[in-house]
Amino acid sequence: MDYSSTPTGFRQRKLQPKVRMRSPGSGTSDPNQLFDDTSSGSAGFRSQEASGLGYPAQALLSEPMSNFAMAYGSSLASQGKEMVDKNLDRFIPISKLKYYFAVDTVYVGKKLGLLVFPYMHQNWEVSYQQDTPVAPRFDINAPDLYIPAMAFITYILVAGLALGTQDRFSPEILGMQASSALVWLIIEVLATLLSLYLVTVNTDLTTIDLIAFSGYKYVGMIVGVLAGLLFGKTGYYLILLWCCMAIFVFMIRTLRLKILSEAAAEGVLVRGAKNQLRMYLTMAIAAAQPVFMYWLTFHLIR
Amino acid sequence: MAFTLYALIQTAILCVNAIAVLHEERFLSKIGWGADQGIGGFGDEPGIKSQLMNLIRSVRTVMRVPLIIVNSICIVLLLLFG
Repeated sequence: MDYSSTPTGFRQRKLQPKVRMRSPGSGTSDPNQLFDDTSSGSAGFRSQEASGLGYPAQALLSEPMSNFAMAYGSSLASQGKEMVDKNLDRFIPISKLKYYFAVDTVYVGKKLGLLVFPYMHQNWEVSYQQDTPVAPRFDINAPDLYIPAMAFITYILVAGLALGTQDRFSPEILGMQASSALVWLIIEVLATLLSLYLVTVNTDLTTIDLIAFSGYKYVGMIVGVLAGLLFGKTGYYLILLWCCMAIFVFMIRTLRLKILSEAAAEGVLVRGAKNQLRMYLTMAIAAAQPVFMYWLTFHLIR
Repeated sequence: MAFTLYALIQTAILCVNAIAVLHEERFLSKIGWGADQGIGGFGDEPGIKSQLMNLIRSVRTVMRVPLIIVNSICIVLLLLFG
Protein backbone atom coordinates (compact mmCIF):
# COMPACT_ATOMS: atom_id res chain seq x y z
CA MET A 1 0.00 0.00 0.00
CA ASP A 2 1.52 3.27 -1.03
CA TYR A 3 0.38 6.04 1.28
CA SER A 4 2.14 8.78 -0.59
CA SER A 5 -0.19 8.37 -3.50
CA THR A 6 -3.25 8.61 -1.31
CA PRO A 7 -3.54 12.42 -1.30
CA THR A 8 -3.30 12.60 -5.03
CA GLY A 9 -5.69 9.71 -5.30
CA PHE A 10 -8.14 11.54 -3.10
CA ARG A 11 -7.77 14.69 -5.10
CA GLN A 12 -8.43 12.78 -8.24
CA ARG A 13 -11.50 11.25 -6.69
CA LYS A 14 -12.80 14.74 -5.97
CA LEU A 15 -12.53 15.48 -9.67
CA GLN A 16 -14.02 12.12 -10.48
CA PRO A 17 -17.64 13.02 -9.65
CA LYS A 18 -17.66 15.73 -12.28
CA VAL A 19 -16.52 13.24 -14.84
CA ARG A 20 -18.77 10.47 -13.64
CA MET A 21 -21.90 12.57 -13.28
CA ARG A 22 -21.73 13.36 -16.90
CA SER A 23 -21.36 9.83 -18.09
CA PRO A 24 -24.94 8.67 -17.37
CA GLY A 25 -26.14 11.71 -19.30
CA SER A 26 -24.01 10.88 -22.26
CA GLY A 27 -25.99 7.71 -22.62
CA THR A 28 -25.47 4.44 -20.80
CA SER A 29 -25.75 1.32 -22.72
CA ASP A 30 -28.37 -0.15 -20.40
CA PRO A 31 -31.39 2.15 -19.69
CA ASN A 32 -32.28 0.12 -16.59
CA GLN A 33 -28.97 0.85 -14.96
CA LEU A 34 -29.15 3.95 -12.79
CA PHE A 35 -25.52 4.03 -11.67
CA ASP A 36 -22.31 3.19 -13.36
CA ASP A 37 -21.32 -0.39 -13.10
CA THR A 38 -18.28 -0.25 -10.90
CA SER A 39 -18.20 -3.91 -10.02
CA SER A 40 -15.68 -4.89 -12.66
CA GLY A 41 -13.49 -3.63 -15.47
CA SER A 42 -13.29 0.12 -14.87
CA ALA A 43 -13.53 -0.58 -11.17
CA GLY A 44 -9.90 -1.65 -11.26
CA PHE A 45 -8.79 1.99 -11.54
CA ARG A 46 -11.16 3.15 -8.79
CA SER A 47 -10.42 0.39 -6.34
CA GLN A 48 -6.74 1.21 -6.62
CA GLU A 49 -7.39 4.68 -5.22
CA ALA A 50 -9.95 3.56 -2.69
CA SER A 51 -7.62 0.96 -1.27
CA GLY A 52 -5.55 3.78 0.14
CA LEU A 53 -8.42 4.66 2.48
CA GLY A 54 -9.26 1.17 3.61
CA TYR A 55 -11.76 -1.42 2.57
CA PRO A 56 -14.79 -0.48 4.66
CA ALA A 57 -14.82 2.98 3.15
CA GLN A 58 -14.61 1.67 -0.36
CA ALA A 59 -18.23 0.66 -0.71
CA LEU A 60 -19.53 3.96 0.67
CA LEU A 61 -17.10 6.17 -1.15
CA SER A 62 -17.64 4.64 -4.54
CA GLU A 63 -21.20 5.96 -4.61
CA PRO A 64 -21.23 9.14 -6.71
CA MET A 65 -23.63 11.09 -4.52
CA SER A 66 -21.78 10.46 -1.29
CA ASN A 67 -18.59 11.36 -3.11
CA PHE A 68 -20.06 14.65 -4.09
CA ALA A 69 -21.36 15.28 -0.61
CA MET A 70 -17.98 14.52 0.89
CA ALA A 71 -16.20 16.83 -1.49
CA TYR A 72 -18.66 19.61 -0.79
CA GLY A 73 -18.49 19.05 2.94
CA SER A 74 -14.72 19.07 3.03
CA SER A 75 -14.53 22.26 0.99
CA LEU A 76 -17.06 23.89 3.35
CA ALA A 77 -15.05 22.75 6.34
CA SER A 78 -11.80 24.14 5.00
CA GLN A 79 -13.49 27.44 4.18
CA GLY A 80 -14.94 27.65 7.66
CA LYS A 81 -11.61 26.81 9.22
CA GLU A 82 -9.90 29.54 7.20
CA MET A 83 -12.48 32.10 8.29
CA VAL A 84 -12.22 31.15 11.96
CA ASP A 85 -8.43 31.26 11.84
CA LYS A 86 -8.39 34.66 10.20
CA ASN A 87 -10.83 36.18 12.68
CA LEU A 88 -9.30 34.57 15.72
CA ASP A 89 -5.88 35.83 14.80
CA ARG A 90 -7.19 39.34 15.04
CA PHE A 91 -8.03 39.04 18.74
CA ILE A 92 -5.58 36.52 20.11
CA PRO A 93 -2.18 36.53 18.43
CA ILE A 94 -1.90 32.82 17.88
CA SER A 95 1.55 32.92 16.33
CA LYS A 96 2.95 34.83 19.29
CA LEU A 97 1.36 32.36 21.68
CA LYS A 98 3.05 29.49 19.88
CA TYR A 99 6.42 30.91 20.85
CA TYR A 100 5.55 30.62 24.51
CA PHE A 101 4.63 26.98 24.25
CA ALA A 102 7.75 25.87 22.41
CA VAL A 103 9.20 23.98 25.34
CA ASP A 104 10.64 20.59 25.93
CA THR A 105 11.18 18.38 28.92
CA VAL A 106 14.71 19.53 29.65
CA TYR A 107 13.63 23.16 29.73
CA VAL A 108 10.70 22.44 32.01
CA GLY A 109 12.84 20.46 34.40
CA LYS A 110 15.54 23.10 34.56
CA LYS A 111 13.05 25.92 34.93
CA LEU A 112 11.23 24.21 37.78
CA GLY A 113 14.54 23.72 39.51
CA LEU A 114 15.34 27.39 38.92
CA LEU A 115 12.01 28.48 40.41
CA VAL A 116 12.70 26.63 43.61
CA PHE A 117 16.45 27.27 43.84
CA PRO A 118 17.55 30.33 41.88
CA TYR A 119 20.64 31.07 43.93
CA MET A 120 23.26 29.29 41.86
CA HIS A 121 22.26 30.56 38.43
CA GLN A 122 24.68 33.11 37.06
CA ASN A 123 23.53 34.34 33.70
CA TRP A 124 19.98 35.65 33.64
CA GLU A 125 19.98 37.30 30.24
CA VAL A 126 17.64 36.21 27.49
CA SER A 127 19.62 35.43 24.38
CA TYR A 128 18.43 36.91 21.13
CA GLN A 129 18.73 35.68 17.60
CA GLN A 130 18.64 38.51 15.08
CA ASP A 131 16.33 40.71 17.08
CA THR A 132 13.83 38.04 18.06
CA PRO A 133 14.12 36.27 21.37
CA VAL A 134 15.12 32.67 21.18
CA ALA A 135 12.43 30.08 21.83
CA PRO A 136 12.23 28.78 25.40
CA ARG A 137 13.44 25.43 24.23
CA PHE A 138 16.90 26.84 23.67
CA ASP A 139 17.20 29.40 26.44
CA ILE A 140 16.33 28.74 30.03
CA ASN A 141 15.86 32.43 30.82
CA ALA A 142 13.07 32.93 28.32
CA PRO A 143 9.56 33.10 29.78
CA ASP A 144 7.06 30.49 28.71
CA LEU A 145 3.36 29.91 29.23
CA TYR A 146 3.44 26.16 29.58
CA ILE A 147 4.59 26.06 33.19
CA PRO A 148 2.17 28.78 34.39
CA ALA A 149 -0.78 27.15 32.65
CA MET A 150 -0.02 23.69 33.98
CA ALA A 151 0.78 25.07 37.42
CA PHE A 152 -2.52 26.94 37.55
CA ILE A 153 -4.52 23.82 36.74
CA THR A 154 -2.47 21.75 39.17
CA TYR A 155 -3.02 24.37 41.85
CA ILE A 156 -6.78 24.06 41.45
CA LEU A 157 -6.59 20.30 41.66
CA VAL A 158 -4.34 20.41 44.70
CA ALA A 159 -6.70 22.92 46.32
CA GLY A 160 -9.54 20.51 45.74
CA LEU A 161 -7.46 17.74 47.25
CA ALA A 162 -6.60 19.83 50.31
CA LEU A 163 -10.22 20.82 50.84
CA GLY A 164 -11.25 17.23 50.41
CA THR A 165 -9.00 16.06 53.23
CA GLN A 166 -10.78 18.53 55.50
CA ASP A 167 -14.26 17.45 54.40
CA ARG A 168 -14.90 20.86 52.94
CA PHE A 169 -15.05 19.78 49.33
CA SER A 170 -17.86 20.24 46.85
CA PRO A 171 -17.63 20.57 43.07
CA GLU A 172 -18.62 24.23 43.16
CA ILE A 173 -15.60 25.02 45.29
CA LEU A 174 -13.29 24.01 42.45
CA GLY A 175 -14.94 26.55 40.20
CA MET A 176 -14.76 29.21 42.91
CA GLN A 177 -11.07 28.56 43.53
CA ALA A 178 -10.36 28.71 39.82
CA SER A 179 -12.17 31.97 39.22
CA SER A 180 -10.75 33.47 42.39
CA ALA A 181 -7.16 32.70 41.43
CA LEU A 182 -7.80 33.86 37.88
CA VAL A 183 -9.23 37.15 39.10
CA TRP A 184 -6.24 37.79 41.34
CA LEU A 185 -3.94 37.01 38.42
CA ILE A 186 -5.77 39.48 36.20
CA ILE A 187 -5.69 42.14 38.92
CA GLU A 188 -1.98 41.62 39.43
CA VAL A 189 -1.19 41.81 35.72
CA LEU A 190 -3.29 44.97 35.33
CA ALA A 191 -1.64 46.60 38.33
CA THR A 192 1.79 45.75 36.95
CA LEU A 193 0.86 47.13 33.53
CA LEU A 194 -0.46 50.32 35.11
CA SER A 195 2.64 50.86 37.19
CA LEU A 196 4.90 50.14 34.23
CA TYR A 197 2.99 52.75 32.24
CA LEU A 198 3.20 55.34 35.00
CA VAL A 199 6.93 54.96 35.42
CA THR A 200 7.43 55.23 31.63
CA VAL A 201 9.73 52.33 31.33
CA ASN A 202 11.05 51.52 27.88
CA THR A 203 10.92 47.81 28.06
CA ASP A 204 10.09 44.96 25.77
CA LEU A 205 7.99 43.20 28.36
CA THR A 206 4.76 42.23 26.69
CA THR A 207 1.50 41.48 28.46
CA ILE A 208 2.00 37.78 27.86
CA ASP A 209 5.44 38.00 29.48
CA LEU A 210 3.82 39.52 32.55
CA ILE A 211 1.21 36.78 32.65
CA ALA A 212 4.01 34.23 32.44
CA PHE A 213 5.98 35.84 35.28
CA SER A 214 2.90 36.13 37.45
CA GLY A 215 2.07 32.51 36.80
CA TYR A 216 5.40 31.21 38.02
CA LYS A 217 4.39 31.61 41.65
CA TYR A 218 1.83 28.83 41.34
CA VAL A 219 4.69 26.34 41.37
CA GLY A 220 5.74 27.50 44.83
CA MET A 221 2.15 27.47 45.99
CA ILE A 222 1.65 23.88 44.89
CA VAL A 223 4.83 22.74 46.64
CA GLY A 224 3.76 24.57 49.80
CA VAL A 225 0.27 23.13 49.87
CA LEU A 226 1.55 19.61 49.23
CA ALA A 227 4.07 20.00 52.03
CA GLY A 228 1.26 21.23 54.26
CA LEU A 229 -0.78 18.16 53.42
CA LEU A 230 2.08 15.84 54.16
CA PHE A 231 3.74 17.49 57.14
CA GLY A 232 1.09 19.70 58.72
CA LYS A 233 1.22 23.38 59.44
CA THR A 234 4.91 23.65 60.29
CA GLY A 235 5.88 21.95 57.05
CA TYR A 236 3.58 24.27 55.13
CA TYR A 237 5.05 27.41 56.67
CA LEU A 238 8.65 26.30 56.24
CA ILE A 239 8.30 25.25 52.61
CA LEU A 240 6.20 28.32 51.80
CA LEU A 241 8.85 30.56 53.31
CA TRP A 242 11.51 28.86 51.22
CA CYS A 243 9.44 29.17 48.03
CA CYS A 244 8.60 32.80 48.79
CA MET A 245 12.27 33.69 49.13
CA ALA A 246 13.06 31.76 45.97
CA ILE A 247 10.40 33.44 43.87
CA PHE A 248 11.39 36.84 45.30
CA VAL A 249 14.99 36.38 44.21
CA PHE A 250 13.92 34.92 40.88
CA MET A 251 11.64 37.83 40.06
CA ILE A 252 14.15 40.45 41.09
CA ARG A 253 16.93 38.92 39.05
CA THR A 254 14.72 38.46 36.01
CA LEU A 255 12.96 41.81 36.09
CA ARG A 256 16.10 43.76 36.88
CA LEU A 257 17.44 43.07 33.42
CA LYS A 258 14.23 44.05 31.74
CA ILE A 259 13.14 47.12 33.63
CA LEU A 260 16.31 48.82 34.76
CA SER A 261 18.67 50.53 32.41
CA GLU A 262 21.72 48.71 31.14
CA ALA A 263 24.18 50.24 33.54
CA ALA A 264 22.13 49.63 36.64
CA ALA A 265 21.39 46.08 35.66
CA GLU A 266 25.03 45.20 35.76
CA GLY A 267 25.22 46.03 39.43
CA VAL A 268 26.78 49.47 39.12
CA LEU A 269 24.99 51.82 41.47
CA VAL A 270 23.50 54.47 39.24
CA ARG A 271 22.17 57.45 41.11
CA GLY A 272 19.14 59.25 39.85
CA ALA A 273 15.49 59.42 40.60
CA LYS A 274 14.57 57.47 37.50
CA ASN A 275 16.57 54.40 38.33
CA GLN A 276 15.57 54.53 41.95
CA LEU A 277 11.91 54.55 40.96
CA ARG A 278 12.45 51.61 38.68
CA MET A 279 14.23 49.69 41.40
CA TYR A 280 11.33 50.36 43.75
CA LEU A 281 8.96 49.12 41.08
CA THR A 282 10.92 45.91 40.61
CA MET A 283 11.01 45.32 44.35
CA ALA A 284 7.28 45.99 44.62
CA ILE A 285 6.43 43.52 41.87
CA ALA A 286 8.69 40.91 43.41
CA ALA A 287 7.32 41.54 46.91
CA ALA A 288 3.75 41.13 45.71
CA GLN A 289 4.46 37.53 44.77
CA PRO A 290 4.95 36.12 48.30
CA VAL A 291 1.92 38.10 49.47
CA PHE A 292 -0.23 36.47 46.83
CA MET A 293 1.28 33.09 47.50
CA TYR A 294 0.29 33.29 51.12
CA TRP A 295 -3.09 34.84 50.42
CA LEU A 296 -4.15 32.16 47.99
CA THR A 297 -3.07 29.16 50.03
CA PHE A 298 -3.45 29.84 53.73
CA HIS A 299 -7.12 28.96 53.77
CA LEU A 300 -6.32 25.53 52.38
CA ILE A 301 -4.27 24.40 55.33
CA ARG A 302 -6.03 24.20 58.65
CA MET B 1 -11.82 35.95 49.56
CA ALA B 2 -14.06 34.41 46.98
CA PHE B 3 -13.91 36.48 43.84
CA THR B 4 -15.81 35.66 40.74
CA LEU B 5 -15.22 36.93 37.24
CA TYR B 6 -18.51 38.77 37.51
CA ALA B 7 -17.20 40.70 40.50
CA LEU B 8 -14.15 41.65 38.47
CA ILE B 9 -16.31 42.97 35.64
CA GLN B 10 -18.39 44.94 38.11
CA THR B 11 -15.28 46.42 39.69
CA ALA B 12 -13.88 47.37 36.31
CA ILE B 13 -17.10 49.08 35.23
CA LEU B 14 -17.34 50.98 38.53
CA CYS B 15 -13.72 52.14 38.34
CA VAL B 16 -14.00 53.32 34.76
CA ASN B 17 -17.23 55.12 35.59
CA ALA B 18 -15.49 56.82 38.50
CA ILE B 19 -12.72 58.07 36.23
CA ALA B 20 -15.19 59.18 33.59
CA VAL B 21 -17.21 61.43 35.93
CA LEU B 22 -14.24 63.57 36.92
CA HIS B 23 -15.11 66.90 35.41
CA GLU B 24 -12.39 68.79 33.60
CA GLU B 25 -13.16 72.38 34.56
CA ARG B 26 -14.94 72.05 37.83
CA PHE B 27 -12.71 69.63 39.54
CA LEU B 28 -9.47 68.68 37.88
CA SER B 29 -8.31 72.21 37.16
CA LYS B 30 -9.06 73.21 40.73
CA ILE B 31 -6.65 70.65 42.12
CA GLY B 32 -4.08 71.26 39.45
CA TRP B 33 -4.70 68.08 37.51
CA GLY B 34 -6.20 69.68 34.43
CA ALA B 35 -5.22 68.59 30.96
CA ASP B 36 -3.71 71.93 30.03
CA GLN B 37 -1.53 72.05 33.11
CA GLY B 38 0.29 68.87 32.44
CA ILE B 39 2.51 69.74 29.54
CA GLY B 40 5.85 70.19 31.18
CA GLY B 41 9.26 70.17 29.63
CA PHE B 42 9.52 68.08 26.52
CA GLY B 43 13.19 67.35 27.00
CA ASP B 44 12.61 65.43 30.20
CA GLU B 45 10.59 62.36 30.22
CA PRO B 46 7.20 62.91 31.85
CA GLY B 47 6.87 62.32 35.55
CA ILE B 48 4.27 60.22 37.24
CA LYS B 49 1.83 63.08 37.73
CA SER B 50 1.71 64.04 34.08
CA GLN B 51 1.38 60.39 33.09
CA LEU B 52 -1.58 60.06 35.45
CA MET B 53 -3.20 63.18 34.07
CA ASN B 54 -2.70 61.91 30.54
CA LEU B 55 -4.20 58.60 31.52
CA ILE B 56 -7.26 60.19 33.10
CA ARG B 57 -7.82 62.42 30.10
CA SER B 58 -7.44 59.60 27.60
CA VAL B 59 -9.73 57.29 29.57
CA ARG B 60 -12.36 60.00 29.64
CA THR B 61 -12.07 60.61 25.94
CA VAL B 62 -11.95 57.02 24.77
CA MET B 63 -14.39 55.35 27.12
CA ARG B 64 -17.19 57.90 26.98
CA VAL B 65 -19.25 56.23 24.27
CA PRO B 66 -18.59 52.59 25.21
CA LEU B 67 -19.47 53.45 28.80
CA ILE B 68 -22.85 54.74 27.72
CA ILE B 69 -23.55 51.44 26.02
CA VAL B 70 -22.20 49.28 28.85
CA ASN B 71 -24.05 51.24 31.51
CA SER B 72 -27.32 50.95 29.61
CA ILE B 73 -26.86 47.20 29.31
CA CYS B 74 -26.11 46.99 33.04
CA ILE B 75 -29.20 48.97 33.93
CA VAL B 76 -31.43 46.84 31.76
CA LEU B 77 -29.94 43.60 33.11
CA LEU B 78 -30.26 44.73 36.71
CA LEU B 79 -33.85 45.76 36.14
CA LEU B 80 -34.69 42.43 34.61
CA PHE B 81 -32.75 40.10 36.86
CA GLY B 82 -32.28 42.00 40.08
